[in-house]
Amino acid sequence: MNEQTMPAVRLKAAEILGNDLCISSEDGQTLFEATASLISEGKQVIVSFEGVSMLISLFLNAAIGQLYGQFTENQVRSHLLVEGLAPDDMELLRGVVENAKKYYSRPKEYDKAWAVEGDDEE
Amino acid sequence: MLKKIGSIESNAYGFNALALLAESSKTFSGDMLALDFQECTTFDANMAAPLYASLTCYNVEKVQAVNIRHDIRVVLTKNGFLGELGFRNISDSDQTILPFRRFKRNEGLSFANYLSQYMRGRGIPRMSAGLTKRFLQSLFEIFQNAAMHSNSQSGIFVCGQLSPAMNKLDFSIADAGIGIRDSVRKHFNNTINSCSAIKWALEEGHTTKTNNQPGGLGLKLLKDFIRINQGKIQITSRYGFHEISGKVEPFYKLDYDFPGTCVNIEINTDDTRNYALKSEIKSSDIF
Repeated sequence: MNEQTMPAVRLKAAEILGNDLCISSEDGQTLFEATASLISEGKQVIVSFEGVSMLISLFLNAAIGQLYGQFTENQVRSHLLVEGLAPDDMELLRGVVENAKKYYSRPKEYDKAWAVEGDDEE
Repeated sequence: MLKKIGSIESNAYGFNALALLAESSKTFSGDMLALDFQECTTFDANMAAPLYASLTCYNVEKVQAVNIRHDIRVVLTKNGFLGELGFRNISDSDQTILPFRRFKRNEGLSFANYLSQYMRGRGIPRMSAGLTKRFLQSLFEIFQNAAMHSNSQSGIFVCGQLSPAMNKLDFSIADAGIGIRDSVRKHFNNTINSCSAIKWALEEGHTTKTNNQPGGLGLKLLKDFIRINQGKIQITSRYGFHEISGKVEPFYKLDYDFPGTCVNIEINTDDTRNYALKSEIKSSDIF
């Protein structure tokens, strides 16, 4: 069975986390590990946010953004889907994904720009 | 030993006064601090949160509030702040208060319960569902940023006040941690000052996370939301104060060192915009 025809595994965020709030980095890490493990096995993953009442970027950075540090864009695109998000939360996710792609393509760029800052007068 | 406190409003002067109060702890000795409110004629209720951050600098067994005007006593008793100092609390019959609370840094869920309890039906009838969602998202982003970056050993302090007549809701989230400046200094091994550090932290994608994770969207999203809502944000961290309101976004260097970071957010509760997007975005369009 090739990857395209494998049945997708659905990860329900609210069930995995045991609550309906996606607001902490720790919970984001938990969802990331569950998702990354399945993608590493070549499985299709659907992350479901059904029943989630609150979602913030800090959570999504850890849960979804971090995938781009472990997998290529093609791998993420071909193995991951999300469902159950309101359109404004999808927009939030899009911002997180764009930020993650930039971050992992040049993680040290800002460091260089700001490492020379030496304007202490306090 | 007495320490005087003047009027405390949500502005750079108010934070300067709180920073001075914190710095005065360095020359303070004794087991009991008497906070003298004689010269305090105005106190914005939400500023109880950063006041508490300043008081954490005092290594005392007891803090008393003395010479406090009746109206200010009512405000600070209603919101539970003076209850922390042993005063008997007054019930919030108008339901315009989001009371003063202290949370440990890992108590994000308790903070969620607090918001759920005090935002629901609390005299905030005109806030649309979309506005409420964006406001709560903003508060969680700020709270979790403080939890992650502040290293505040005494926790995170919050307090809010609704002003129905002025259609505004003010909320403060303060910590007594290292401040944005020291977080950035540690990350880059530089000597950046407080105002530059705040400016840096507001840029999209800027984060001091050390775990090879992307970040740095929370404050940017907050800023974008407040511009649309025509509200106000004040970020005070160590010697730096920054306000985002309308077209004017000034930075001020405080005269004294505020012990940590405080984010004040003021929203226009009369905002009837529908923050929900009309167009659908597909999952496959994102990745």
